[in-house]
Amino acid sequence: MSSGAGDLIAAAAAYFFRRIVNGAFVCYNADMKRLRFLTALWLGKIAVLACRVLGRGGTDMPGRLALKICPDVLKYLSSGVNTVLITGTNGKTTTSRIVERGLAAAGLDCFANRSGANLLSGIVTCFASNAKLSGKSRHDWAVIECDEAALKFVTLYIKPVSLTVTNIFRDQLDRYGEVTHTLSSIRTSVANIPGAVLCLNADCSLTWSAADDAKNAVISFGVDVPIYRGEVSDLSDAPYCSRCKSRYNYDYRTFGHLGGWRCSSCENKRHQPDIRVTRILSSGESGTAVVMSIFDSEYTARINLAGGYNVYNACAAAACLHSAGVGDGTVIEALGSFEGGFGRMEEFSLGGVSARMILVKNPAGCNQVINYLCSGSGPALFVICLNDRAADGTDISWIWDVEFENLAARKDRLTGLWVSGVRADDMALRLKYAGFDEGELRVIRDYNELLDEIAAQSSPVYIMPTYTAMMDLRGIMTKRFKLKKFWM
Amino acid sequence: MNTVNDVYLNICHLYPDTLNLYGDRGNVICMEKRLAWRGIGVNIKQVPIGCELEWKDTDLFFIGGGQDFEQEVLLPDLEGKKADAIREAVEDGRVFLAICGGYQILGKYYTTHDGVTCSYIGAIDACTVGGAKRMIGNFMFRCAPEDGGFLVTGFENHSGRTYLGPGARPLGTVVRGFGNNGEDGGEGARYKNVFCSYSHGPLLPKNPGLCDRILELALRRRYPGFVLPELESGFEHRAASYMANRLGASPC
Repeated sequence: MSSGAGDLIAAAAAYFFRRIVNGAFVCYNADMKRLRFLTALWLGKIAVLACRVLGRGGTDMPGRLALKICPDVLKYLSSGVNTVLITGTNGKTTTSRIVERGLAAAGLDCFANRSGANLLSGIVTCFASNAKLSGKSRHDWAVIECDEAALKFVTLYIKPVSLTVTNIFRDQLDRYGEVTHTLSSIRTSVANIPGAVLCLNADCSLTWSAADDAKNAVISFGVDVPIYRGEVSDLSDAPYCSRCKSRYNYDYRTFGHLGGWRCSSCENKRHQPDIRVTRILSSGESGTAVVMSIFDSEYTARINLAGGYNVYNACAAAACLHSAGVGDGTVIEALGSFEGGFGRMEEFSLGGVSARMILVKNPAGCNQVINYLCSGSGPALFVICLNDRAADGTDISWIWDVEFENLAARKDRLTGLWVSGVRADDMALRLKYAGFDEGELRVIRDYNELLDEIAAQSSPVYIMPTYTAMMDLRGIMTKRFKLKKFWM
Repeated sequence: MNTVNDVYLNICHLYPDTLNLYGDRGNVICMEKRLAWRGIGVNIKQVPIGCELEWKDTDLFFIGGGQDFEQEVLLPDLEGKKADAIREAVEDGRVFLAICGGYQILGKYYTTHDGVTCSYIGAIDACTVGGAKRMIGNFMFRCAPEDGGFLVTGFENHSGRTYLGPGARPLGTVVRGFGNNGEDGGEGARYKNVFCSYSHGPLLPKNPGLCDRILELALRRRYPGFVLPELESGFEHRAASYMANRLGASPC
C-alpha cells in the first residue's frame, strides 16, 4: 500500500474519530483517550495485515497511521513492556540480535524490530503488531533499535529498562547534520529517561560525553587492546576534547576515534569499563575468540560473527543483557550462538555460489568492512552497490573518506571488483583514484544482470550495498532465488 | 604516460585533522594522483593546529571544510602568525583551494544566526552570515570563462550565506542549487590565485578540467609556461555527466 493511500485512510479515520467524539457520545476523558488509542491500534493492525496481503514489507505506514490518530499511542503500547533501547551510529542491528538471543536463552519472552525500521513510525508498527486487540503486549520484553535522531521522540513515550549507545561516528551529514547534533539528540533523550540504565561505549569519547550531566546508573563497555595488527589509519571523528577543546592522546587505538583516549590538558579520559574485552585470541571468517571480563569475572567467549567491529557489538550486547539481569553464562552463550541480522554478513546461496551481504553506510563502518575483507584469504569477488536515496544519505562524498586504497593492496585476493547502484559511476571513479585501472573495474547497472553474473562465479562473493541498494537486491533475490520474506 | 623529469609541486594541506569534513581529502588524493600519473613529483605537507606555517616553499594550499565545533577549535590558532602567513601567501600569488568552512575562514568574518561575530583571516573580500535554513543538495555551476568555463557538479551543505565584496569575484554562476547565498547566483570566490567553493567533498575528482587548471597555475610559478600533458578522463566525465543529466543540463 502506498504511503499516499495510508495518509488518506489516516485523515479519514481522524475525521470520523473527531465526529464521533464531538457528536452524541458523552464520554469521560479517560474513556475517550482509551477509545482513541484502541482506534489507532486496530487501524494500525489492519494496515499491517493489508501490507502483508499486498506482499509489501510495510514497516512504516501502519505506525504513521496510528500516530496520526493517537500521537501518544506508543506510550500505551509500551507500558508494561520491559524495553531495552539500542542506539548509536554503527552496530545497532547486530547488538540487537545478540541481545534478543540472550533474552531468549534466559527464558524471557521478547519481540524486536528486526527489519531495521527504527524511526518512531517503524517502532510503533512493531509494538502494534505485537500487541493484543486490548492493547496489551503479547510479550514481556522488547528489544528496540532506534535511530539516533528519532531517539529524542521515542524516549518521550518509552521508559526503557536501559539505553545502549554503541558508538557515535559521522554519518549521513545531509540527514543528521554534524556529530554534535547527534550528540545533543542523545543528551536530550537521556534527560527524558532518568530511570534507565545507560550502557555506554567507554572507548568512544563522543558517546561518553553524552552522559556528562546525567544522573543515571551507567554500565560501561570497551576493548582494552588493539583489535587489528599494525597501524590504524582511519580519520578520527573526534580529535579534540569535548570539554576543553585540547587534543586527545591515545594509549592505543582500536579503530576510528575509539580506544584509550585521554585529554592532553584536562581530566577527561577513558575509564576502565565494567565489561571489557581484555584479549583477542583468534579471528577468522566464522568469528572472533576473545577473553571478556564482566565486572571482573573472566570468560573465554566466541563471537559468532566475523569482523573486528563485532567485538564492540558483543561488548555492547553484554552490557545491555547485564542491565536486563541476564546472567554471565547466558551472555557468553548468546555471543557464541546468535545469528547476524539483515545484511550483516548475511549469507545467501545464489545458484550454488556463496554470497555474503554486508551493509555499508558511512566511512567508519565501511572502513571496518574493508579491514575485514583485506584480512581474509582465498580468492573472492567484491561488489559495491552505491545508492544516494534519502535512506542511504543523498551525499555520497563519504566514499572519499573510506580507505579503498587498502583494497587495491589486496588485488591478489580479488577475482574481480564490480560496482553497481544509482551512483556506480562515482564509485568507479573513487576506485580509480584508490589504485584500480579502469580496465580492472566493471560497472553493471542492472541488478538482474548483476545477480546472473554473480551466480556464474566459482569463488565466494562479497556484496557491499548501501541501504536502499540492499533492499532492491533483496527484493529481486527473494523473487528469483526463493528467499524468505523479511517481515518482522 | 608522459614523464616530466624533475618537475615537482609542494602542496600544503592546512588543518587536515580539523577541516576534513566528508570527503575533503578526495581533493588531495585527486591532485596527488593526477600529478603522479604524469610523472610529476608531489610533496604533501600537513599543517595541523599548533604547527607553524612556512609558506615560502609552498606552491599550493588546500583547506577543507569543518563542523562548527572544529571551526571553533581552530580560531585561537588562526590569531596572529598563521593568519599573517596565509595573507602574505595569498598576496604573493600562491594558489589556494578552499572548500566550505575553509572558504569562510579565508573571508573577513562570520556572523552566526544569533548575532555573534567571529573574525576570520580576511585574505579575501568575503563575509558570511549564518542562516536558519541549510542549503543542501547536489548542485551545479559554470565557472567564469576566464577560469575555463567548466560545468562543475558537486554537493553543497551549508547554512552560512557568503557575500563577496568588490575585491573578489565568484568562481562561477549557479546553474542548479544555491551557491554562495542562494540569492545572487554566484558560487565560490576568486581573488588572485585563490579558488573557493561551497562544493564540498570531492570537488576535483569529478571535475578534472578545474583540477588541472589549478595544478597548472601552481606549477607555472615554479616552471613558467608549463603545460600539463593530457590524461584519459573517461570515468571522471562519466560521473560528472551522470549528475549533470540528473540535474537537467547537458555537460557540453
